[in-house]
Amino acid sequence: MQFKLSKYAAVLIASGIISLPITASANDSAELEELRGLVQALSQQVKVLARKGEINEETADAAKKTTPIVKASSGGFSLSSPDGKNEIKFRGLIQADYRAYSSGANDVRNRSNQRAGDLDANGFHDATDTALLRRVRPTIEGKVGGKYGFRFTPEFAGGSASAVDAYVEANFSPAFKVRAGKQKSIVGLERLQGGGDIKFIERSYVTNAILPNRDLGVTVSGDLLSNKLNYGVGIVNGVNDGGNISTGNEYNGEREYTARLFTTPFNDSTSALAGLGFGIGGTYTKFTGERNLNFTDTSAADATRNGLPSYVTDGQQTFFRYAGGAVADGKRFRITPQANYYFGPLGVIAEYARVSQDVSLTTGGSLAAGGGGTNTAFVAGSNKKLKHDAWQVAASYLITGEDASFKGVKPKNNFDLDKGGWGAWELVARYSEINLDNDTFKNPAGTDFTGAYADLSTSAKSAKSWIAGVNWYLSENAKVALNYTHTSFDGGAGVGITPVNLAGTNITDRENENALLARFQVAF
Amino acid sequence: MKKSLLAIALLSAIYGVAAPATALAKEVNLLNVSYDPTRELYQDFNKAFAAFWKTKTGDDVVVKTSHGGSGKQARAIIDGLDADVATLALAYDVDQLQEKGKLIPKDWQKRLAHNSSPYTSTIVFLVRKGNPKNIKDWGDLVKQNVSVITPNPKTSGGARWNYLAAWAYAQKQNGNDEAKTKEFISKLFKNVPVLDTGARGSTTTFVERGIGDVLLAWENEAFLAQKELGVGKFEIVVPSLSILAEPPVTVVDKFAKKHGTEAVAKAYLEYLYTEEGQEIAAKNYYRPTLASVAKKYEAQFPKVNFVKIDEDFGGWQAAQKKHFSDGGTFDQIYSKQ
Repeated sequence: MQFKLSKYAAVLIASGIISLPITASANDSAELEELRGLVQALSQQVKVLARKGEINEETADAAKKTTPIVKASSGGFSLSSPDGKNEIKFRGLIQADYRAYSSGANDVRNRSNQRAGDLDANGFHDATDTALLRRVRPTIEGKVGGKYGFRFTPEFAGGSASAVDAYVEANFSPAFKVRAGKQKSIVGLERLQGGGDIKFIERSYVTNAILPNRDLGVTVSGDLLSNKLNYGVGIVNGVNDGGNISTGNEYNGEREYTARLFTTPFNDSTSALAGLGFGIGGTYTKFTGERNLNFTDTSAADATRNGLPSYVTDGQQTFFRYAGGAVADGKRFRITPQANYYFGPLGVIAEYARVSQDVSLTTGGSLAAGGGGTNTAFVAGSNKKLKHDAWQVAASYLITGEDASFKGVKPKNNFDLDKGGWGAWELVARYSEINLDNDTFKNPAGTDFTGAYADLSTSAKSAKSWIAGVNWYLSENAKVALNYTHTSFDGGAGVGITPVNLAGTNITDRENENALLARFQVAF
Repeated sequence: MKKSLLAIALLSAIYGVAAPATALAKEVNLLNVSYDPTRELYQDFNKAFAAFWKTKTGDDVVVKTSHGGSGKQARAIIDGLDADVATLALAYDVDQLQEKGKLIPKDWQKRLAHNSSPYTSTIVFLVRKGNPKNIKDWGDLVKQNVSVITPNPKTSGGARWNYLAAWAYAQKQNGNDEAKTKEFISKLFKNVPVLDTGARGSTTTFVERGIGDVLLAWENEAFLAQKELGVGKFEIVVPSLSILAEPPVTVVDKFAKKHGTEAVAKAYLEYLYTEEGQEIAAKNYYRPTLASVAKKYEAQFPKVNFVKIDEDFGGWQAAQKKHFSDGGTFDQIYSKQ
């Protein structure tokens, strides 16, 4: 612009000079001088305008260095300093679900529940169809000084508010990051996938049943070897299988040690193996629970003071619960080999998890109705190492051709009735099962089915589930999911409501569970 | 393991015997945050100081400099620009480091000689060759057909010196009638077509972009423009009255302490007062304060009838508050245009 204007002015000046001899005869020198002055003034004005433009640009460039950057995008809303070292982000995840059951029970057998009404002839309540909010999680996360960050995610679903994530972190380098507070456990592959990115409405038995969910403590993690190797180690309070720790003090006093190695050895190649990753994770602790009947009566997969979990189906119905007198009493060791693979629209995840838990039987403890009780006393000779395992294989395929990944899906064309886009469509299928140690259902001597760690006529020994489903990504932020799940059990029921007998001859299998799960999710 | 230990021991022994001096030498980094026209001065000075420091201590010192409008630079330091030393255009801007940033002690100005101003300068006029508008004094700047180039007093230290020099002239001409003085300054700024943020920007406007008839400039900047940027294209006009500009320097204690550079930062500033430092200042057209060097370069600098900031304006704090604070005389005058 400046060049053009200057050139224009120069042409004007030149014109004045060239035309001088022609006009000299017609005009006196005063007019020429006036014209020259006019052209010079015009030239100055052009230069001033150009210079002002330069100064404005310089001022704008300087302002960019100090003006905060406000962003509102599909990734959330953020406010950051121009150098990106200081930032605060607002994100959110809301999932509205519907669960419908064609058959199935809503709890372990013979557990009365006044709200659910009377037990049927076999000691079960029917699972009830329900609409629910599965996750309502606003998130505030940020960083200061480029290295130090925080994340706070409360959960408003489920009738009460709690902190899902609440941690601070220091990212000293990509190879060395320290995080302290309540956070996702580092060991499970599917657990590390975001709640809005998971391919199925509920995670598998590996993740929901065996491996820890969220825990309180300190973890160190990082990426090494050009991001080919990811490591993580942690010292945490320790939480039950599938458990989500509360933010309060830990009552047991023993730490749990966690570790994971995961490698993507071909991630910088263009071969079909580029999307292959595999690794192994594990946890170890010594843990002694307390017999407290009030606490053992809490919901499945919750942290209980007896230190032992309950297990739920894909349809989120409890099918296994330890006996009231059982408490964790000794070592707990988990190991989980894991792998995933992504190639074009195809995604596969495979995981195995095994937990080895020392358990004892006790007497005493608080009364179920509260009030006075007696001290927890261990039953001599009842300590036993129980080993449960679970595995899953899941596959997903984006029929609209988008690339599959560990994270969410960005449709090639968002769903738009006006423009004709249909979003991204994904077919998903999974087989998953959990198998509990046979000794769980026998007395400490292993001679009969009464006085066991769990009652086989009320809690099932295994659950095998397959799921088929479809995910419809309306956009990067909106997803509709539909899953059909079928689960069969080994044990878990009996004849009428009679308790298990010594020989276990009155044990039958719990009724199969068929459920349709639906979800509409918005995440940003 | 044993072999590794042996190798380390051998290397240590060889290194220790063969290179004792280099083993102890270290590299020290300094950041000098300065005002706009000092680029050339500190380019020369930094080299000289690095050589001096190397000889004295064996350490390598690398001085980086940052330049911009003096007020802007002070704000940048307050906002966290990790300056080890600040060499700004006027004491008020350095005062801000104390008042707003608590980065230096209150008595910073007493730590070095001449109120911590190792060199001085003044404000002169730079006009185009032949002085076509016949500009000789401040009064000529308010004529209708004269275009004046000066930076923005809100951001530039040099511009504030320009403004005060013009103010002092007008006060003298008008018998201290402040209303008339304001009218004079108002007329002057009506003749300013472009307000740059710093003195170097104004030099660019006048010298390189060819805008304006007269540049109100630091004396050193005017010499530089005349002798190096546009040889034979400009002339310096010394007005009947101008102001003695005393650009101050200070160690920015908080940052220097953080960097562990207090000693070298102090030495850096003290070196400005040495004969070598004063020679470099004089060669870059700053008026030296050391008598011997001042005498040597006496002929280089024209004699000027000076007003002084402390004597004629009650010091920088008072001048800043009256003229350049929000709602001050400059705002009153400029907002009407």
